[in-house]
Order: sequence, then structure tokens, then C-alpha cells
Amino acid sequence: MSLLDTKLLRDLRALRSQAIAVALVMACGLAMMIMTRSLILSLATTRDHYYEEHRFADVFARLKRAPNSVREELAAIPGVAHVQTGIAIQVTLDVPGLAEPAVGLINSLPERGEQVLNRLHVRSGRLPAGRTTVGELAVGEAFAEAHGLRPGDSIAAVLNGAKETFRLSGIVLSPEFIFEAPPGAALPDNKTYGVFWMPYRELATAFQLYGAFNNVSLTLAPGASEPAVIAAVNRLLAPYGGRGAYGRIDHASHRRVDDEIRVLVGLSVAFPLVFLSVAAFMVNSVMSRQIALQREQIAMLKACGFANRQVGAHYFKFSLAIVAGGVLAGALGGIVLGHQLVEMYHLFFRFPQLDFQLDARVLVFATAASAGAAFAGVAGAVRRAVRLPPAEAMRPEAPANFQPSLVERLGLARWFSASLRMALRNIQRRPVRSALTCLALALATAILIVPNSFRDGIAYVIDFQWDVVQRQTVTLSLVEPGPARALSDFKHLPGVVWAEPFRFVPIELRAGPITRRLTLQGLPERGTLSRVIDGEPRQLTLPPRGIVMSAKLAEVMQIKPGDEVVARVLEGREREIAVPVVGLAEDFAGTAAYMELDALNRLLLEGDRVSGAHVVLDRGHWGEFLSAVKRTPRIAGCIIKDSLREGFRKTTAESIGLLQKIYLLFATIVAFGIIYNSARISLSERARELATLRVLGFSRGEVGAVLVGELVLLTLAALPLGLVIGSGFAKGILTAVNTETVRLPLVLTPANYAFAVLVVAVASAASALFAARKVAGIDLVGALKAID
Amino acid sequence: MPAAVQTSPVFHVRGLARVYGEGDAAVIALRGVDLDLFSGELIVLLGASGSGKSTLLNQLGGLDSPTHGTLLYRGANLAAFGEAELTLFRRDAVGFVFQAYNLIPSLTARENVALITEICRDPMAPEEALALVGLADRMDHFPAQLSGGEQQRVAIARAIAKRPEVLLCDEPTGALDVRTGITVLEAIEKINRELGTLAVIITHNAILADMANRVFTLSDGRIVSVRENARRGLARDLAW
Ligand SMILES: Nc1ncnc2c1ncn2[C@@H]1O[C@H](COP(=O)(O)OP(=O)(O)O)[C@@H](O)[C@H]1O
Ligand SMILES: [Mg+2]
Repeated sequence: MSLLDTKLLRDLRALRSQAIAVALVMACGLAMMIMTRSLILSLATTRDHYYEEHRFADVFARLKRAPNSVREELAAIPGVAHVQTGIAIQVTLDVPGLAEPAVGLINSLPERGEQVLNRLHVRSGRLPAGRTTVGELAVGEAFAEAHGLRPGDSIAAVLNGAKETFRLSGIVLSPEFIFEAPPGAALPDNKTYGVFWMPYRELATAFQLYGAFNNVSLTLAPGASEPAVIAAVNRLLAPYGGRGAYGRIDHASHRRVDDEIRVLVGLSVAFPLVFLSVAAFMVNSVMSRQIALQREQIAMLKACGFANRQVGAHYFKFSLAIVAGGVLAGALGGIVLGHQLVEMYHLFFRFPQLDFQLDARVLVFATAASAGAAFAGVAGAVRRAVRLPPAEAMRPEAPANFQPSLVERLGLARWFSASLRMALRNIQRRPVRSALTCLALALATAILIVPNSFRDGIAYVIDFQWDVVQRQTVTLSLVEPGPARALSDFKHLPGVVWAEPFRFVPIELRAGPITRRLTLQGLPERGTLSRVIDGEPRQLTLPPRGIVMSAKLAEVMQIKPGDEVVARVLEGREREIAVPVVGLAEDFAGTAAYMELDALNRLLLEGDRVSGAHVVLDRGHWGEFLSAVKRTPRIAGCIIKDSLREGFRKTTAESIGLLQKIYLLFATIVAFGIIYNSARISLSERARELATLRVLGFSRGEVGAVLVGELVLLTLAALPLGLVIGSGFAKGILTAVNTETVRLPLVLTPANYAFAVLVVAVASAASALFAARKVAGIDLVGALKAID
Repeated sequence: MPAAVQTSPVFHVRGLARVYGEGDAAVIALRGVDLDLFSGELIVLLGASGSGKSTLLNQLGGLDSPTHGTLLYRGANLAAFGEAELTLFRRDAVGFVFQAYNLIPSLTARENVALITEICRDPMAPEEALALVGLADRMDHFPAQLSGGEQQRVAIARAIAKRPEVLLCDEPTGALDVRTGITVLEAIEKINRELGTLAVIITHNAILADMANRVFTLSDGRIVSVRENARRGLARDLAW
């Protein structure tokens, strides 16, 4: 090791607290980048691998009923590689230990041979024996876990009106249900919705579907055109009550995983970018200061025959050492946190195995990016230092050019103490540096805003969705849409105080080339339970004609109120209807479309029908109500709002909460780092001057006040700026991460701002205290000789 | 110095001028300096503050380039040297001693010397150089643990460890008291005698003139007098 490197190590030790501050800021940015990028890699490769191993299909279709022979016709469509047909039917479940009924989607297992597509992964137990035993079901893992079910347990299901008890043969996973959520729901509700598999013969027989199918999956041959195949499938299935084939992009589970990855992509760029820029700025300020302090050392090195290259390399190495520390800490942090977050994904996504995979490329990229940032940060200072002719550097630096500050020139000086005047002059003397410090402090404030805006957004969504929009106690759904008089039956259930009907119809909405599959909700024109709320937020009255859709849906479909959209009904009789868009609603859990109930029924030409009702209950009759519901075979499902809310809190809210906590921790570290570093640098710059003041008879307090005053003034200027920038960051990051199915509103609360101000104030106070202590300890003689 | 006169000079300087700045703000630091300096000589440059001594020394040491004039080092045109050549020149041929010592505070005495010997062609051991200036027992001290005179002697050891052709000292005793100043001058004198190094010492203190072979006096950027001492005095006999 050369002695220049020895010098480097010793200088680093002397500067360690600042070096650590900078490295920590860098580490926070890198940890986030490595964590999110690795999660993306983990999710994407695990999913792709799972899809491939278990042959996840490319195109999916539901239909009313087609004879098995149609399967050969489907296989003959040009571009189709493999076809799997089967039955999928929604049933009502009676789960031991669950008071309300649950909904199960039972899928068939092929009568002969293995599944061609969407193959199951058996987690425990085995698949139903089928040929030898009846009364066996395989259950999806999410539902099984939510109820603590194990192979061998039993569960009751109502199949075509008859309640039967099944034995669970095993717990399974399916590439079709990585995300196990009820159709149309953006949130998992694993207590009341589960997925099951059963041998074809048994399921088909129960529903009089033997020899037929109502569900198709198929894969495309290499190079085949998906739209062409979808069109051909639709033509073929139309006579059999086809509900429209769709690709992976419209597949609920696939879509949800995709959206999660998209959120992570947004996060992996936005946060690290801010943190790394801050780190670059800090490297610059630390190194500029270091180089200024070592001006004479640099001159000596050059006078003694060191080449510019050697001197420059020395200071670059200095910043690289900081980068190395940052990369090391960041990589470790990213890996540890990534492991934790992967655990969290088990809450949502069911993979046979989801392991943390370190994205090694991002590690390389992160190292290069931070080295680049540090390089950019010091290049200017190093170049200036190296360019300085040695003879020049030997001369003492020209005294700073002080001027009365603006405040003094405005005649306000008498309002300020001498210390404050000096602080003002210091700021004004180096306007660029002061502005940069101010900007850094503002950034410290700003990054604190973002994580808490996530938290507040979640809280807002919870309140909005389940207090403002949904005001029912439970939602009851019928097995099949029934006549409107079902409503009065609901009203007569024990404990029911009020009930309002709804009609849910699966539709495909089309505007120009863009299509989306969703559930069109028919609601009373101005209901009191499930309400349609606009952006104000204000309740919307549903007009007798036209459709109200969520603003986000309108945005992605590029339509505005007044435009017309085409709705294709995917249930019962196939119909296509053109309806005008008459209003935009606000919602955060998925995308929705609403219509007045009667208007919807008129369009469907099916008479007055309802799919179920939202109900307000007298809690005193809770038990009676639920047992009555379980006894009513027409009622397929009963969703209790509070358990949905609880589920959301436990899953989405918790996961975003975990991210939020990590980010908040990082932001706090960064804020402290920035502020501490600023204090150190201004202390270093002023040490000689402050020592002189002390020699001239100023007290420690007065001298400390100069330094603290400067920091306080800059902080005061930075705070409002920081709040503004932070609000912008929050908005930008939310825009970057919001997808169709995962969305958060921008909510900025006074508490959020107050917290940011508080953290910055505490960090400033702590740094000021530290600086004041240093000032008190200045060795007067030493400081006047040489300072670092 | 008959022997020296017969050989070619180490430095051959004619009409050397250095102007700082331009136009109205121009400062003429040197206005036509002529001199020849020979191997083994000990030269003292006298002059009031601002007379151009440091500027002249910096030209000789390749820290700065002249505006006009001839500046030859062993017949080579220093004024035409590029950055890389000047660096090599300073690395191999010149030892600098500055008024402010300019030691690296984070390195010990030995390391400060070794820092320079690491990059030289044929250096002496740092220990040997420190012994030459009488600091054999303080080698592992950091600059902050040494007195001013000791620090300056470390700086001299650093300058001579590379066995330079010329030793350029800019007010080496400027910050020191008499006694310490003399120990430092003795160190320079010893190097000059024992290694035959051309030593140039800048001072505004005329008493130092006695220890020189030749004394140049500068005033307002010109050499106003040259004095040749028939007999060189010893540094330790100098009386302030
Ligand atoms: N880099 C510079 N820029 C402008 N003027 C300079 C510079 N260096 C020296 N001078 C001026 O040149 C003159 C000679 O300076 P210098 O050689 O340092 O004098 P001395 O060493 O004899 O005290 C002085 O007037 C000084 O102000
Ligand atoms: Mg001088």
C-alpha cells in the first residue's frame, strides 16, 4: 500500500462520521433499489418458471355449455397449441367455524390422464382419487390457510341445491390462482372465497353437465396471433353461450401479479433516484471541503513531483471508499429487507415456492450508479484542485469578500444580534453553497413526506371504501339473478333493518380499440348503502340512462363523460349495447362501472332481476341472521363488510405499511445524514473565523450562535420548500406506482407535514448541539494555526 | 569558485520576466533577471517582502512558467516544458522547502519522507534522510507532535531524500525563532556540503548572507546586487 493510501485511510478515519453519514444515505438508496429490483426478479422469474412448469394457458374462455366434441374444433383453430376443457362452477360452502356462508369455485380435474394446462401443484395430501373414491375435494392453499384446513378435514358445499359433505384430499396451488380473489374483486378475501378441484365426472354429474364443458383454456402455438385466436374462439363458442375469450392481460390473477411488479418498478426508480442524488450532493460537499482544507497539501504533493493524475486519483479513491461503504451496507440492507418483503408476498401470492433472488445485475448497476454519482460529485472539486498551479496554492487563500447582508442594507440590522448578522453574511457570502445546503435540507424534508403519504392514503382508502362508499353490514348474493321480489325475502331475514338490491353483470366494455372486462353494478338511483361517489367527494345520483364509471377506468379507456361505450354482456343472453358515459366516480379498489338498476334491467331485457342485496343488520340478531342465511339455499354468498375491511388491513395495508416503515426509516436516516453533514461542513468552514472571534473576546454562546444561527436560518428557509417538493414527490411516486388494480389516492395531511418538520427540527437541533459543543471545545491556538 | 565556474551552470537565466494578470491589473513580479547558478553552491536570495523572491524560486523549481526570458536547466529549456515534463523535473531534480513546512498532518515524520521517496528514481532511505537532519529519534511522530523547527527539518529531509540536484528553500526559517532557525540552516548547509547539492535559500534576513557563496539581492523584480563571499561562514556562527 502506498503512503498516499495510508494518508487516505487516516483522513477517512478523521472524517469518519461524515463519511458514514454519506455512506448511509447512499446505502438507503441502494438498499431500496436492490430490494425492489430483487423482488421484481424474484416475482417475475418465479412466476414465469411456475407458468412454464405448470403450463399456464394463454387464452381463457367461459361459456354456458358445449358438448365435449367442440374441444376438437377448438384444437383445430389455427394457432392453437393445446386445449383444456372442463367445468368451473361457483357453489355455496358451509365451512366449519365460519358463521357466514362462503363461496367456492369448483374446477374439474380431467376424467382421464393429467391436466394438460394449468396443472396443479400439490402442497400436501393428494389430488382427489376420483375413480375409486367419491366425495373428495382439493382445496386452494389461501382458503385452506385462512381456515386452518388440512387434508382429511371436511367441508360442506351446496351442489345444485343439495348440500353434501366433502373430505379434503389435499391442499393445492394453481398457476391460475396465484392471487386467489373473487372474480371482479381487487382484494383477496380468503375467508369467504376459495378455489377447489374435483374429478370431472362427479362435478359434471352433480350439475347435469356430463359430456359437456363450460370452461376453456388454451395455449398458442409459437408465432400465433392472440387476437386472431380469440376471435376464432369467440365465433366457435358463440352458439354455446360463450362469454368472450380473453388473454392473460385480462386474467385476474395474472394481472394482479403484473401490477405488483409494476408498482415495484415504479418504486425501484423513484426513491433511489432521489436518495442517490442527495448522496452525490453530499459527496460533493464533503469532498469539496476536504480538498479546500488540503489545498496546501495538494500544492506540496505537486511541488514534490506528484502528477495531476496521482493527486486526482487520490481524491477519487477517497470518495470511492465512501461509495464502497455505501454499497456494502446498501447491499446487505437490501438483501435483508428483500427477504422480509418476500415473506410478506406469501400473504397475497401463492407460488409453490417464492424465494428471494438477489438481482446481481442491479448490484453491479447500483455500484456503478453510486460510483458515478460520487464521481460526478467530486469531479469538479478534484479538477479545480489539480488545475491549481502549485505556486498559487502555496499562497494563502484570498480573504473572503464580505458585504453587509441584504437585511442590513434594508436597515433591519438593529433587529438582529451580531451573531445573527454574521450568520446572515455567511449565507450571503456564498450564495450558491447556501442555496445548495438549503436545497439539501429541503430534500431531507421532502423525502419524509412520501412514506407517510402512503400511510395516509391507505387510511383514506379504508375510510372511503368502507364508510363512505359501502355502508351496509353485509352483502348477500344470490346463486343466480332472481326476481326483484327476492328483496322482500331479504328484508324478512331476522335482524335486517334495511336492504337495497343490486344487480351485478359481467361485461366487456369497449371504447375504440380498448376493451376491459369488469362487473357492471346496477344500483338504486340514489342508494344509501352502496353509494357512487365522485371526486369531490359527493354522492352521485344514477340517471335513468347511461353509465357511470370510475375515473381511472375512463382514463385508461381514454373516454370522457358524453362519450359512448359498448358494453357486451357476458352472462345469459349475449347482447351488445351502446351506452353513454354520464359521470365519473372515484374508487380505489379496482375499476368499476355503475348503472341505475332499472335502466340496467331494461337494457338486459330480462325483467326486474337482482343479484343480491346490501343489508344493514341489527347486530343483536347476528347469530340468527347468519344461520337463517345458511339455511337459505338461494343465497350463495354473504360478505361481511368488517371482515373485508379487516382482510384489507391485514394484507394490503400491512404490506404497504411495511414498505412505508422501511421508507420512513430510510428517509429519517437520510434527513439526519444531510443535516448533520451540513452542520459539520459549516463548522469546518468557519472554525478559524470562530476561533478568531473567541480570541477577540466573544463568548462561547455568541460564537455558537453564529453557527447555529446559520443552520437555523437555512432550515427555516428549507422547510416550506421541502414540504412543497415532498408533496410533488408523493404525487409523482403515486402516479408512477398506481395501476388499474392497485391504487392509492394522494393524501397529504397536516400530521404528515408536522412529522417531517419535527424530524428535520430534531435533526437540526441535534446537529446544532453537536456543533455548539465542538465550538466550545475549539483549541484557540491550534485553530488559528491549522484547522481541519 | 573556480571549479564551479569552469563547469556549465545548473541554471542559466537571462532576461527572466513574470507578469501576473493583464492590462491595468497586471503585476510585474520579475522584470528581467539574469543569473547563473552552479552545482555545489549555496545561494542566498535577499529582498524585501514583495520583491519577487518567491516568484523567482518558483520559476527555478518548475512550479510556474516565465512570461519572457530564457530559463535553462542543464541546457534544457524549462520554459518550454509541458506539464508532464515539469512534473518529472520536480520529482527527480528539485527539493522544495516551504516556509509553512507543508507536511501531511496524518502521516508520521518517516511517512512524510517516504511518501516522496516512493515516487523517486534513486532515493535514500527515509531514515537516512531524517538522520541527516538530526531527527533519527523522532521518526514516528506526527507533525502535530513536533516543534516548528523539527517540522521544518522533516520538510528538509523530505526534500533531500530524493537526492535532488537543487534544494530550493523559501524562507525556511521565517516562522522559527533564532536558535531553531539555525538548526534548520545547519541541516541545509550540511546537505549542501556533503551531497554537493545546489541550495538556494530565500530570506528577507540579511544576516543569513554570511553562510552563502553568493548573495543576490532583489528589489522590485530586479537583481540589484550580487555579492560573492570569499569565505563562507558557518550557520552556527550567524548572529541575529
Ligand atoms: N499569483 C499571483 N497573482 C498576482 N500577483 C502575484 C502573484 N504572486 C505574486 N504576486 C505579486 O508579485 C509580487 C512578488 O511576489 P513574491 O514573489 O511572492 O514576493 P516575495 O516572495 O519576494 O515576498 C508581489 O507584488 C505579489 O503581490
Ligand atoms: Mg515570498
